[in-house]
Amino acid sequence: MTIRRLPESVVNRIAAGEVVERPAAVVKELVENAIDAGAARIEIVLREGGRAMIAVGDDGCGMERAELALAIERHATSKLPDEDLRHIATLGFRGEALPSIGAVGRMSISSRKRGADSAWRIAVEGGTVSEPAPAAQQAGTRVEVRDLFYATPARLKFLKTERTEAQHALEAVERLAMAHPEIGFSFSDDGRTVLQLTPGADDLFEARHARLAAIMGRDFADNSVAIEAAREGVRLTGRAGLPTLNRATARAQYLFVNGRPVRDKLVHGAVRAGYRDVLAHDRHPMVALFLEIDPEEVDVNVHPAKTEVRFRDAGLVRGLIVGALKHALAGAGHRASSTVGVAALGALRPGSGLPYSSGPYSGGSYSGHGAPPSHAPRGLAEEAAQFQSPFSDLARPSAPPAEGGAEARDFPLGAARAQLHETYIVAQTADGVVIVDQHAAHERLTHERLKLAMHAGGAARQILLIPEVVELDGPSVGRLAARAADLARLGLVIEAFGPGAVVVRETPALLGEADVQGLVRDLADELAELGESLALDARLDQVCGTMACHGSVRAGRRLALSEMDALLRQMEATPLSGQCSHGRPTYVELKLADIERLFGRR
Amino acid sequence: MKVTIERATLLKALAHVQSVVERRNTIPILSNVLIEAKGGRLALSATDMDLAIREEVAAEVAVPASTTAAAHTLYDIVRKLPEGSQVALELAAGGGQLTLRAGRARFSLSCLPVDEFPVMSAGDLPHEFALDAGALRDLIDHTRFAISTEETRYYLNGIHLHATKVGRAELLRAVATDGHRLARFQMPLPEGGAGIPAVIVPRKAIAEVRKLVEDSAESVRVALSETRIRFTFESVVLTSKLIDGTFPDYERVIPTDNDKIMQVDNKIFAEAVDRVSTISKDQSRAVKLVLSRGSLVLSASGQDTGSATEEIEVDYAGDGIEIGFNARYLLDIASQIRGERAKFVMSDAASPTIVRDSSDDGDGSLYVLMPMRV
Repeated sequence: MTIRRLPESVVNRIAAGEVVERPAAVVKELVENAIDAGAARIEIVLREGGRAMIAVGDDGCGMERAELALAIERHATSKLPDEDLRHIATLGFRGEALPSIGAVGRMSISSRKRGADSAWRIAVEGGTVSEPAPAAQQAGTRVEVRDLFYATPARLKFLKTERTEAQHALEAVERLAMAHPEIGFSFSDDGRTVLQLTPGADDLFEARHARLAAIMGRDFADNSVAIEAAREGVRLTGRAGLPTLNRATARAQYLFVNGRPVRDKLVHGAVRAGYRDVLAHDRHPMVALFLEIDPEEVDVNVHPAKTEVRFRDAGLVRGLIVGALKHALAGAGHRASSTVGVAALGALRPGSGLPYSSGPYSGGSYSGHGAPPSHAPRGLAEEAAQFQSPFSDLARPSAPPAEGGAEARDFPLGAARAQLHETYIVAQTADGVVIVDQHAAHERLTHERLKLAMHAGGAARQILLIPEVVELDGPSVGRLAARAADLARLGLVIEAFGPGAVVVRETPALLGEADVQGLVRDLADELAELGESLALDARLDQVCGTMACHGSVRAGRRLALSEMDALLRQMEATPLSGQCSHGRPTYVELKLADIERLFGRR
Repeated sequence: MKVTIERATLLKALAHVQSVVERRNTIPILSNVLIEAKGGRLALSATDMDLAIREEVAAEVAVPASTTAAAHTLYDIVRKLPEGSQVALELAAGGGQLTLRAGRARFSLSCLPVDEFPVMSAGDLPHEFALDAGALRDLIDHTRFAISTEETRYYLNGIHLHATKVGRAELLRAVATDGHRLARFQMPLPEGGAGIPAVIVPRKAIAEVRKLVEDSAESVRVALSETRIRFTFESVVLTSKLIDGTFPDYERVIPTDNDKIMQVDNKIFAEAVDRVSTISKDQSRAVKLVLSRGSLVLSASGQDTGSATEEIEVDYAGDGIEIGFNARYLLDIASQIRGERAKFVMSDAASPTIVRDSSDDGDGSLYVLMPMRV
């Protein structure tokens, strides 16, 4: 067989395999083109999940007749003005999308240059290009792709259901829409409009907040903190959800680099590190982070679909993200997500399926006479009864304020008023009621203290009678040896032991009789992946957490008022005190307004 | 099967046998006890596939037969029967149900077929020797606290038993270590012990044997090969697999040139360590020992609890030294020292320290403890 050059059509189809893997990829490429064209509104229309038709229209700069013909050639683009791959300021630049799509579907492009008086249309079918013809079109461009993958039946077979494909396409649009709040988007599938976003206000910050709320939900907007940090020319903005607002998967984590949505291991790892000791291991926070970085410092040309990026200084980016998240979360301090409070209220709300609905709201389940409702509110009803009758016991602490100390309005968590079931502390704040889980709260306090002790003094180390030799590959040994000093500070003393092993001489006393082999291997892996000794930190944290759990006030212990007040004051002073070490809330807050609503006073 | 047996006899045997049975079993037959009635004896057996126990007791056997029934359930039933009652066991025709009667109580237990019950093959056990129950207790007590619980180092999860020669004396030695401390106990080699293989007896077998020889003066026959060990005691036979691994060369970690010798009243020392370490609540439980001529100052501090010191009198004539230890390890060792005084032989704050019972210098027990950096 002789070597020959592949015909253009085959080359395009191969390229299409990389760029156009499913309808969502086509949508993404076309919407990116529209964004790069400076559109203010973008309309996406799908039929049969994109299989029958994908149309993306914009009101951007448009193209002239001559440009149209060029647009569908491979490696033809308007986006690299100075032909310098180090300065990529647009979403696209490879000049591959249109010819690739044209290679696997029936594509037509109609466009009218801004200010021009005529529009032109060009069609590509399975790689064959027609002559440009006059067309009717507003300023801007409309690309229509019909019968996607008709030229590559194998790919067609691998498509999922219409619904799934449409969902993927929608997610692609949502991600781009989050990064561009100034652009209006509409997305419809088989005539049903599923997404309608108006162009945001002039203020970028406001616009983005509104856009995030529209896409990630009101809960996220209400229960997230703003992130803003910059270091050495890298700027990080966005919002991070409170730890109590969490998800079972990492899907609600949206990351953007220079307006480009990416899925990057480094960034996801950094987010995980940022939330490390406020979230349980298997829960994931919701975040939307926007990273702005000099295009020279980042390489987006890693993969044709551009979902992966490489940073020149990965450590800086990672450090910035972890630092900013930790800072913002610590600043949110003891704020627990109001969704918890709202959920509690939901349970309290009368009429929510009570087996009681005979009379038209006659008694009002909480009036105090009449039987208490038979489910969740029972405990509260009993307490309410106590509140009403023997006032003496509960009222006393607030009477001499000098002794009780705290005045409700002086502190965010208010003044302790009572303890319920020897488990929960009830405190009165300026505008509501706070219920604290005493064990969870104290556990967090102890945990933080232990962590502090460890960082302050360095961890105590048990010297090994029989040093443990751990066999590893060469690079891992090098990486571990390079971090030996840091590891020693955390209590793990290791030395390189020939080219393929390390010997462990001392271990952190906190770990007791640890699985040294496992610890060192995990450390080596983690170092390879992240370049930071996270595993050891995390494990010590885990031990701290467990110890904190055992060393803390248990549920069921009766506390004096002064003890309760002390606990509340410490919580206010401790970072991250809104959650216990396992990510459960340590307290919930009920606003007076909500309570009034419960009783129909509002 | 038709058997009548005294509750107390049955209960004692069942107590031994059921403790081998794991609480959670994926293989149903392993939850059961094998009951064999023949010629005036009732034999009970249980196994977890690594360890097997068989105990025989006297019973009135009217109709000999065998079956298996849930061990823990059977034990709990017999335990709750009134004292002094007679227990009648009867296997219905077909063998599906075992009926237990005592007084006016009647239980029906489902059975599993006898042929499903796994028989652990002991193979040939070429070596055999006898030990006093008391000697076996000593051997276990002085070493087992140092057995490692870390399963990745499975070869440390037991007591290393072997014969050795020191000078002209032939010795039987037991050694256990968890990598932080080491305990060694030795005694004159019993007859028949010459040439026994060096083996590692797993922790569970040690625990079961220890229970069996509690308050007894009888002699225990120990038989072993390279892969199995068997303890025969009165009417109980306990057979265990051995840990298939190599115990580390422990002699290398026992220092020989330590020169700082401290002697202290063991009880006073243990109580002081216990008191002082109350303050360091965290898991590390570090206690610092500051030694100077004639005096030992113990100190500990906890992050949010405070600090503590206590001084005690010791026999010490060497240079001053500061050394940290895990309080729990010190207490473990102190609790095994039977004599009045303990002897510490030290070198420096980063090298192993030897602890001995002052009353049996030269033989018996020896402990090696690695310091902590505090």
